[in-house]
Amino acid sequence: MDNSFLHAKKIMVVDDEPEIARMLAAILSDEGFTHVVTASTMTEGLRVAAAERPDLAILDVMLPDGDGFELLRQLRMLSDVPAVFLTARDDPSGRLSGLGLGADDYIAKPFLPQELLLRIYAILRRCYKEDAPLLMLDDCLVDFGRAEVIRGDESIPLTAMEHTLLETLSRNVGRIVTTDVLCEALWGDNPYGYANSLNAHVRRVREKIEANPSKPTSLLTVKGLGYRLVTRR
Amino acid sequence: MRPFGRYVARYLGRFALFLITLLAANAFAFVLVFSSILSEDYGPDSPANMLERVAEGYSEGGIPDATSKALEENDIWAMHVGEDGESDWIAFLPEEVPRSFSLSDVAAFSKGYIGDYPVFVRPIDDGLLVLGYPKTSYAKITGNYLPMRAVEALPAFLVIAGLIDLAALAVAYCLSRRKLSTSIEPIASSIEGLASNRPVEASLPKGLEGIEESLNKAADMLSRQDEARATWIRDVSHDIRTPLSMIMGYAQRISCQADVNETVRQEAAVIQSQSAKIRDLVQDLNLVSQLEYDSKPIAAEYVRPAELVRTYSAELLNSGVDPMYRIGIDVQPSSERVAVEGDRRMLIRAIDNLVQNSIRHNPDGCSITVELKQEQGASVISVTDNGVGISAEKVRVLEQEPESADDSIVQSELHHGMGLLLVRRIAEAHGGKFEIDANEPTGTIASISIPNGKGSTNCQINPNVT
Repeated sequence: MDNSFLHAKKIMVVDDEPEIARMLAAILSDEGFTHVVTASTMTEGLRVAAAERPDLAILDVMLPDGDGFELLRQLRMLSDVPAVFLTARDDPSGRLSGLGLGADDYIAKPFLPQELLLRIYAILRRCYKEDAPLLMLDDCLVDFGRAEVIRGDESIPLTAMEHTLLETLSRNVGRIVTTDVLCEALWGDNPYGYANSLNAHVRRVREKIEANPSKPTSLLTVKGLGYRLVTRR
Repeated sequence: MRPFGRYVARYLGRFALFLITLLAANAFAFVLVFSSILSEDYGPDSPANMLERVAEGYSEGGIPDATSKALEENDIWAMHVGEDGESDWIAFLPEEVPRSFSLSDVAAFSKGYIGDYPVFVRPIDDGLLVLGYPKTSYAKITGNYLPMRAVEALPAFLVIAGLIDLAALAVAYCLSRRKLSTSIEPIASSIEGLASNRPVEASLPKGLEGIEESLNKAADMLSRQDEARATWIRDVSHDIRTPLSMIMGYAQRISCQADVNETVRQEAAVIQSQSAKIRDLVQDLNLVSQLEYDSKPIAAEYVRPAELVRTYSAELLNSGVDPMYRIGIDVQPSSERVAVEGDRRMLIRAIDNLVQNSIRHNPDGCSITVELKQEQGASVISVTDNGVGISAEKVRVLEQEPESADDSIVQSELHHGMGLLLVRRIAEAHGGKFEIDANEPTGTIASISIPNGKGSTNCQINPNVT
């Protein structure tokens, strides 16, 4: 999946360990991100955020002059910047795991850089979807901004449900997305029992995006688990 | 707690035996002390024998010398009182003893004393033979009669009193036994609690406050030690995360850099995968510590095992499994609507450890199936492979308590990460169980069963909305 349209986004890393901040900056710039700023305290984080207006914040939970939660609360007074928490605990407490503070994700240390990048891309795609270029599938293009499928000269509108379904899959291109995650995205908190409805929506999406809906090449079924969206090679 | 009932019974039994022995010893001592006195009383100098002897030897005005001598030796005086009340023969008679007696005098002394001398009398031919013993030699009972009714009632009284005494003893025995048991059992259960790492708050009956205090102190100390250990493990595993993040991060960065020598890239990849092992080990250590020492080890939330199995499997496949391992998923439709009460993170960890165990033991690849089904009100998650399998010996060891299992094998299992032991701890913490066995024809089948929560019914089937 082409994520390069996100590389212009400005990312702020706040971690009291300068080594970690430096490493994250290195990993991010390796990946192609061109604007990475770092801070090591809450005060510095606030100052940097005010000056630089980052598009995503990676916050350590423990900071020398406060904690990441408090920092996020104050950041949110400035803007709706999406945030990822880094935590050295693998038993996240309720407010972390529930992401009650409006954090978009959390990652337990130690983490693999690959894992962190995946999560960052997923958040950026979700928060800046209007920037996304067209999704290129084997047989068509998907324009999420206008909620339509473009096949040759024809453009086919997507229903809200179909849009959500495709978008959820596209955030995880190439990866299996379970029926549970899809049902939750479509129907909310208590997604049990919607399996048949999900099948129906998938069938309709396939009719719009696949050359041969009974032999799909883009929206693939993973038996017993869910679905996987494959982009044009 | 039956053993304590038996213990108390034995204790009280011994006490009864001791009482009986004591009584027997008393009787023996009594016989020992009094037999000489009694045998003396029935010996030749006893009043009865002496009266007999004197009466036999007595003839008008005297007794034989030998008899007289016997009287003198024993400090006994004697006299014969005629029908008229006058003494007509005396021997060794002290001064203060009168020589003549009225009818009432005779009636009085015949049962008691003359002066302070205990006297014994025997009627002979024409009067009364009287023997006077030294003043302090005998105590005489002057009023020796009992009402006939009392005499008649005595045997019945003795029998009934004996029976009542026995019954009272039996009741006392039972009460003491129960009281002792109720005092001891809280102590015992507290100690058992200490041994099995349960929280202990001993509350013992009055009189045992000292023991109660010591027990509670011991419990407090143990729990503080456990807490210290858990805190220590938590802190260490916390502190290790940041440096490990950097090792893993830079290792991966090096392993992905195109302008780096191929050997260096491979070595960086090894550093990365080994660091991931350290991470898993630290996480397992932390979880085991949490399960061992935490009073509320698991977060109770409703988890749908079907969703859990799918989420885990998708993550596993997304993370990129070596293609020589074929991963299959099989969720029985009946499991869809079921929820269990438990800790999502731990359950996923348990499934992962089972899958990783299959991968570790089959370096040449195999098929691995994660299956979810319903069995007797429990959700059974099993991980089956068709690989090299598991030895009967290993199965035996894994089914034992780690404490009792052969150390070397447990050590080797620990050496490979705490994998399966942790799986079993997690299953047990959820009120379930862990089983591992050989699969037919080859391979291993490992499963955890977790009882379904009461909330299972909360998973209503939603109407089909399109």
